Amino acid sequence: MLPFINAHPLQKVSQDFRHDILDMIYKNGGHIGGSLSSIDLINTVYFGNLFNFKKDHFVLSAGHLAPSLYVILANAGYFPKKLLDNYSSLDSILQHHVSRDVPGVEYSSGSLGQGLSFACGLALGDSKSKVICLTSDGEHQEGQIWESLLFAKKYKLKNLINIVDFNQFQIDGPVSQIMPLDNLAAKYIQFGWTVTTIDGHNFNQIISTLKVAKKSDYPNCIIAKTTIGKGISFMENNFKYHDVKNLSEALYNQAKSEL
Amino acid sequence: MTNSIRQSFGNTLTKLAKNNKNIFVVNADLKSSLFLNDFAKKFPRRFIECGVAENNAAAVAAGLAQTGKTVFLTSFSCFSPAINWNTIKQSICYNNSNVKIIGSHAGLMSTDLGATHQMLEDLALMRSLPNMEVFSPLDALETEKIIKTVSFSKKPAYIRLVRPPTPNLFDSKFDFTIGKSHILQPGKNVTIIGHGPILEEAFQVQAKLNLDDKYKKISLEIINCSSIKPLDVTTILKSIKKTGHLICLEDHQKNGGLGEAITPLILSNNLSCKFIHLAVDNSFGRSAKTYQELYNYYGIGVDDLLSAVKKYF
Repeated sequence: MLPFINAHPLQKVSQDFRHDILDMIYKNGGHIGGSLSSIDLINTVYFGNLFNFKKDHFVLSAGHLAPSLYVILANAGYFPKKLLDNYSSLDSILQHHVSRDVPGVEYSSGSLGQGLSFACGLALGDSKSKVICLTSDGEHQEGQIWESLLFAKKYKLKNLINIVDFNQFQIDGPVSQIMPLDNLAAKYIQFGWTVTTIDGHNFNQIISTLKVAKKSDYPNCIIAKTTIGKGISFMENNFKYHDVKNLSEALYNQAKSEL
Repeated sequence: MTNSIRQSFGNTLTKLAKNNKNIFVVNADLKSSLFLNDFAKKFPRRFIECGVAENNAAAVAAGLAQTGKTVFLTSFSCFSPAINWNTIKQSICYNNSNVKIIGSHAGLMSTDLGATHQMLEDLALMRSLPNMEVFSPLDALETEKIIKTVSFSKKPAYIRLVRPPTPNLFDSKFDFTIGKSHILQPGKNVTIIGHGPILEEAFQVQAKLNLDDKYKKISLEIINCSSIKPLDVTTILKSIKKTGHLICLEDHQKNGGLGEAITPLILSNNLSCKFIHLAVDNSFGRSAKTYQELYNYYGIGVDDLLSAVKKYF
C-alpha cells in the first residue's frame, strides 16, 4: 500500500492491527474475513477519543470477530500483546469466540443474536453511559435481533449504538443469497431507530457518525458498509475467508506484503 | 390447608423489593399469573416488560444484572427456559449473570392447559448448565424462603413454580439452605425422595400403610429435595444406606429429572439399594380437569406410590 498521504491517523493504526490479526490467525486459525472488515470500526470506537471505557460499554455480539477485539485490547494495554500468539490454544485465556475471561471484554458470545439484547439491558441499567454494540449483517437473520429492536424503541434507549458490520457475506455465501436483508436501514427506521449508513472504512465518516449518535434521542444504528477480508486482495469479497485454518506460507507472505 | 406457590413468589418478591432497590423484574407478559401486579405498580421503573419475547428477555436480564442489579426473569417454564435455553446458556450462565429464572406452571399441575403448557423437561434443561443452581420449592412457605435466599446470591438460578394452590408441608422451624435437603418425616424402611408439592402423596401413602395390618410397621423416610442442584449428597446417601429402598417421585420426565441425578450417587458409592423412579416416562402431557387425574393417568399418583412401596415387602 502507498504511504498514508492525507490519511486519517487511525488508518495507519488499523493497518498495524491488520498485521496483528493476520499474524495471530496465521498461527492459530480464526475468523479473518469479518475481523478485517470490522477492525476500522472497533479501532475508532476504542481509539477515536469518543468513549471512555472506564464507564461506557462495548458488546461484541458477533463473537467470532474476537481477533479484532483482542488485537484492540492488547494494543490498548488490557493484557500483554504476546498472548495473541497462542490465541485459541488450551492454555490461553483468549478463547476462539470472545470471552470475558479476557481483560477488557464485557460480554462472552459466539452464538449470534444475543449481544444486542444484552446491550439493551446494559443501556437500561446504566443510562448515564454509552453502550456500543457490534453486530454483523448475517446475524440479523436471527429473530432475537428483532425482539431487541422492539425493546430498545419501547424503552427509548438513546444511549445505545448498534454498529452493523455490513460486509455482505456469511459463512456459506452472500447474505443476499442465503437470506436477504433487503433494505436493512428502512427496517430499522420502521422499528423506531435512528439510522445512518456509512462507508465502514472511512474514519472521518465513522467518527462524525458516532459523534452524532452520542447525542441522539433514539436508539442508534450505524450500518457500516465494509469489505470482508479488507486489505488483502485474495480475501476481499471472498466468503471462503469467513474463517481460515492453515493459511499457506506463500499466501501469508503475499498478504503481509499487501498490508 | 393449601396456599399458592406462585402467589407466594409474587408477594415475597414485592416485599423484598421494598428494601432492596437492586431487585428488578424482567417479565414476558405473565405479570398477573405471577402475582406481580403489585410489584409493577409500586416499582414501575424496576419492572421491565419484554412482551412474549423470551430470548430477548433473558439477555436483557443478563445485561441489567451486569450493571449490578439482581434480576428476576419471570415467565412460564414452558417458555422460559424452554424457548430461550441457549440464551440462558450463553448470556446468563457463561457470562455468570445474577439472574434468577422463575419458571411457573411447571409439570402436569398445569392440568387443563395440556401438553404444550405442561413443562416436564425444565429440570433436564437447567441441571445440565454449568453455573446454574436449580430449586423446586415444596410449598408456598418454602417458596418464600427460597426467593429470599436467592435474592442474596449473585449466581444464576432456576426456580420451578407450579400453578394450583398446594398443601402446606414445610416446617416453619426450618430454613432453606442451598444444597440442603430436609427430612420431612424420618423413617426406617423406604426413602421417598422428591421435589415440589407431589411429595404430599408420601404422607397419604404413610397414612394408608398405617391402616393396613400387613404394612403398618413400614415407615417412610420422606425427603424434600428442593435443592436439586447442588444436591445434598450426605443426607440422601445416609437415608439410602439406612433404608436400602429408594423411590424417587417427581412431576417431570424421567429423562433428566431428579431420579437421574440420584442414581449415579448410588452407583459411584457402591451402595446396594432397590430403586423405583416414579415420573413421566417419555410421554407428552394432556388436558384434564384435575392434576390428580393426570398423576393417576401417568402412573405417579398416590396409588402408584403405594403399590411401589408394597412391591418392596
